[in-house]
Amino acid sequence: MGTTAAGPEGGARTGSDPPMSARDALEVLETQRDRVSRSLRVDIVLVLGAWGVTWLAGFGLSYLASVAHPDVSWWVAGTVIGVLGAAALAVSFGLPIRQGRGIAGPSRRVSSMYMWSWALAFGTVAAINTGLTSQGLPARLTPLTWTGTSALAVGLMFLGGGFLFRDRIHYGLGGWILVTGAASVFAGFPGNFAVLSLAGGGGMLAAAVPYALARRRSPA
Amino acid sequence: MNVPALPPLDPVIHAQPRLRVTVALAGLPDGDAMTFPRLQELAGLTAGNLATHLRKLEEAGYITVTKAFRRRTPVTYLALTGAGRRALEDYTAALGDLLAASGNGTPARSSTEEELPS
Repeated sequence: MGTTAAGPEGGARTGSDPPMSARDALEVLETQRDRVSRSLRVDIVLVLGAWGVTWLAGFGLSYLASVAHPDVSWWVAGTVIGVLGAAALAVSFGLPIRQGRGIAGPSRRVSSMYMWSWALAFGTVAAINTGLTSQGLPARLTPLTWTGTSALAVGLMFLGGGFLFRDRIHYGLGGWILVTGAASVFAGFPGNFAVLSLAGGGGMLAAAVPYALARRRSPA
Repeated sequence: MNVPALPPLDPVIHAQPRLRVTVALAGLPDGDAMTFPRLQELAGLTAGNLATHLRKLEEAGYITVTKAFRRRTPVTYLALTGAGRRALEDYTAALGDLLAASGNGTPARSSTEEELPS
């Protein structure tokens, strides 16, 4: 490295560093902040958008299939839920894992515990509902317990995410999903699907709006 | 009439590669560290170039360099120190003051242009 000298525009530099004006420096700073933010932070708008669409379309089609809509069969509803759910899972878990590569420390441990909490919660939902069926739960109640307990798990996880990330919108969405889950059970089959589609999926999409607006105001 | 002194810019940070490295490390939450390859990717530097600039930042006390082993493979972790985080905050504030004072057009200058380690 050579000696330090002021560049033509006055910026401090060493022998191999190109000169940099204050304006250049500000541009580098802002561009790099934006790049780092996009590379390291989970895109909450994308995650909520993916799950909102999955619930809206998946439960919506399940409702239409349940009321014997001529154009919607259970096969169509199941396929849409499978495809959209897989995409939403990839966005929710694949992206954070990819973003966390090469990073170590407390935030990675918290992120890992949070992701495992989702897996444990849904593992328990599956176990409870399988257990209820094996204990003779009437078939007409099966859709209600599956969707009701799933909404309970999602709501509690959003509440947890709210205080983990100190995020009121996330916390509020958790409360809304809990109310939605309870209401879906009272709505009965197949109304439960309509409630989860409109209030649940719609709630997630609505919660994504303030995040999107905040990002537009401050891109980094 | 006295012209008010323009705020000095920290010469350790005021170089494009080191500014990119510092901002990348400042993007991590407190207590986290980044591996050399990830930082290289985020800063857009060659390995040799990055190593040179990391040395300067380490000498200034702005970063810590930790060598560890993961699955028997050596890994280098980089993290911003408290002093480094403060230095970037001060640099950002000084940059803003400088541009505001000069109507966005005055070039930056360093407080220690002659003292920057070569």
